Amino acid sequence: MSDILAVQLGPLRLVNPIITASGTFGYGVEYADIMDVSRLGGISVKGISLEPRAGNPPPRVCETPGGMLNSIGLANIGYDAFVDRTMPVLRRMGATVIVNIYGTSHDEFAELARRFDKVEGVAALEVNISCPNVKEGGIHFGVSGKSASGVTRAVREVTSLPVIVKLSPEALDLPDIGKAVQDAGADAISMINTFRGMSIDVETRKPRLGAVMGGLSGPAIRPLAVRMVYQVFKAVNIPIIGMGGIACFRDVLEFFLAGASAVQVGTANFTDPTIAVKIVDEFEEYCGARGIHPADLIGKVEIQEVK
Amino acid sequence: MDYFKTRITRMEIPARDHVILWFRGDCPVEGDPGQFVMVRGNWGAHPILPRAFSLVEVGKEGAILVRNVGEGTNLLASMKQGDELLVLGPLGRGFSLPSETGGGVALVAGGVGVAPLVFLAQRLVDKGVKPVFLYGARTGADLPLRDHIDEICDLTITTEDGSVGEKGLVTAPLERFLQTNPTASVFSCGPEAMLEAVARVSVAAGARCQVALESPMACGMGVCKGCAILDAAGEYRYVCSDGPAFESVEIFGREP
Ligand SMILES: Cc1cc2nc3c(=O)[nH]c(=O)nc-3n(C[C@H](O)[C@H](O)[C@H](O)COP(=O)(O)OP(=O)(O)OC[C@H]3O[C@@H](n4cnc5c(N)ncnc54)[C@H](O)[C@@H]3O)c2cc1C
Ligand SMILES: Cc1cc2nc3c(=O)[nH]c(=O)nc-3n(C[C@H](O)[C@H](O)[C@H](O)COP(=O)(O)O)c2cc1C
Ligand code: FES
Repeated sequence: MSDILAVQLGPLRLVNPIITASGTFGYGVEYADIMDVSRLGGISVKGISLEPRAGNPPPRVCETPGGMLNSIGLANIGYDAFVDRTMPVLRRMGATVIVNIYGTSHDEFAELARRFDKVEGVAALEVNISCPNVKEGGIHFGVSGKSASGVTRAVREVTSLPVIVKLSPEALDLPDIGKAVQDAGADAISMINTFRGMSIDVETRKPRLGAVMGGLSGPAIRPLAVRMVYQVFKAVNIPIIGMGGIACFRDVLEFFLAGASAVQVGTANFTDPTIAVKIVDEFEEYCGARGIHPADLIGKVEIQEVK
Repeated sequence: MDYFKTRITRMEIPARDHVILWFRGDCPVEGDPGQFVMVRGNWGAHPILPRAFSLVEVGKEGAILVRNVGEGTNLLASMKQGDELLVLGPLGRGFSLPSETGGGVALVAGGVGVAPLVFLAQRLVDKGVKPVFLYGARTGADLPLRDHIDEICDLTITTEDGSVGEKGLVTAPLERFLQTNPTASVFSCGPEAMLEAVARVSVAAGARCQVALESPMACGMGVCKGCAILDAAGEYRYVCSDGPAFESVEIFGREP
C-alpha cells in the first residue's frame, strides 16, 4: 500500500482520507469476509455509550428520495463489550479505529474519554454531540456554542487521544460552533450528522418510523453538507472531516474543494458494502495520474469575486 | 458471507406480479433455507438501498422469487437476461433443520413467503423427508411455484376467495394435520398475522414451529441496527442477524 494519500489531521495520521461513518459500518469487524479494512483511512465505529443501549421502537429505517431516514437510537453493545470483545478483533484486522462516543451528560462523555484513553489500538475519539435520535444529550449538546464547547473541554481534559467533535447540521450558527469547539481544544471537526426528517405513509396515515422522526442521510443532503463544510472551513483553522451523501469518488473531491481534509462515507456503505475501498482506489488513481496530493485540493473551490 | 457482481442468467414469470431471477457469478451461490440475499441492480443512484430476498435455490446458479410491490421490485422485474446484479449473501440465520422428523413436517406458506419454503422443501426431499406443503393465498392467481411444489411434496392450497383449493385460511388444513401429527415440525413464512396464527395453532398442538420474519432493512448484515423487532420477552431482536428464522415462541410467546 503506497502512502500517496496519507493525510495528517492535527495529531492524527491516516493512510488515506477515506473513513467509514459511524453507524453505517457497524464495529468494522462485520466486514472481515468481504474486504481488507486496513485499507481504509479509518473506521468510525457505531456510537458507544458507557452502558449498552437497546435503541428505539421499530420500524427504524425507511428509504426516502435520494436518501433514508433512521431512528436507530444509538443501539450499541456498550463500553465493556466493545473493549473486551470487539477491540481485539479490530486490532488483529489492522483497522484504524476512531471511536464515536455518546453520553447523556458532560460526566458521561468525560468518563468514556478517560477510559478509552488507555485502550490499545484506538486512534482517535469522535465526540457525537449531534445525534437526533435520542432524548437526552445528543443533538442538544450540538446546537449551541456554549454546550458544544463544554462537552469538548470535558473530553479534552481527560484524554491525550486526538479529539474530533462531530457537529449537527441543526446548529443555529455552525461556523460559531466550529470556532467554539476549536477553542475548547478539538483537534478536528467532523460534519455533518443527519438532519431530522419525517415520512408518513399516506395509506395508513402513520409515520413510517416508530420514533416518528429520524435522521436524514444520503445523497439528498449532500449540497447542504457541502455548503456547511464551506462555511465552517472559512471560520476555523483545524481540519474538517466532511460527510453527507458521499456516494462516489467525485463526491469526495467536492468535499475537499469545499474545505474538507478527509471524508466519511456513510449511507453509501448500504448501497455497496465495498464502496469505501473502491473510493480509496479511485482517489489513488486520480492523485497518481495528476501527481497531486489530497491536501492540494483542500478548500480550492474557485470563486469568482464579483466587483 | 460473500459479495459479488453477478449477471441474470434466466428469468421466468411464475404468476402475475412475480418474477424468478436466476443469477450466476464466478463462484457457486451458497446458503441454507431461510437465509436471504441483499440485491441491487446496476441502476444508478436511486433507490439507494438494496432489497432483501429469500434464497429459493442455490448451486451453480442462485435464484430469488420477487413479488412486484414497489419501486425496487419493479426495477428488478424489468431487468433483462444478462443484466448486472449485485448480490450480498447468504445472510442471516436460516431454519434449523430438525434431526428427528418422524413426527412429520409441515411447511406453511402465505403469498411470497413461499420462497424460502420451496428451498426448504427441496432440501428435505433431498434428505429423504417428504413434507406436507400448505400454501395459502388471497386468490388462485397468486400462487407462484405451485406446480413445482406439487411435484415434490404433498400440496394443499387454500384461497380466501375459494378460486383454487379450499376456501379459507391456511391454518385450517394445518389444524387438521396437527391433530394426527401433534409432534410435527412446522416451518412458516408469510404475512405477520398469518405467522402469529400458525404459531398459535402449532404451539397449542404441542408442535415445534419456526417462523421467518421480515423487517425493513438497510444493510442486511447486522451493522445498521435498523431491522429490529420486539420479541415475546420485550427485547429487540435483529431480523437480519438473529433471524430471519426464529422459534415461534421466541417471537409470539407460548400463550394461546
Ligand atoms: C429477510 C427478508 C426476506 C424477504 N424475501 C422476499 C422474497 O423472497 N420475495 C419477495 O418478493 N420479497 C421478499 N421480501 C420483501 C422485500 O424485501 C420487499 O418487498 C422489498 O424490499 C420491497 O421493495 P420495493 O422497493 O419494491 O417496495 P417499496 O415499498 O417501494 O419499498 C420502500 C422501502 O421499504 C422497504 N420494504 C418494503 N416492503 C418491505 C418488506 N416487506 N420487508 C422489508 N422491507 C420492505 C424496501 O426495502 C425499501 O427500502 C423479504 C424481506 C425480508 C426482510
Ligand atoms: C443508520 C445510521 C446510523 C447512524 N448512527 C450514528 C452514530 O451512532 N453516531 C454518529 O455520530 N452518527 C451516526 N450516523 C450519522 C452518520 O455517521 C453520518 O453523519 C450521516 O449519515 C451523514 O452521512 P451520509 O449521508 O454519508 O450517510 C448514522 C447514520 C445512519 C444512516
Ligand atoms: S438490516 Fe442492518 S442490522 Fe439488520
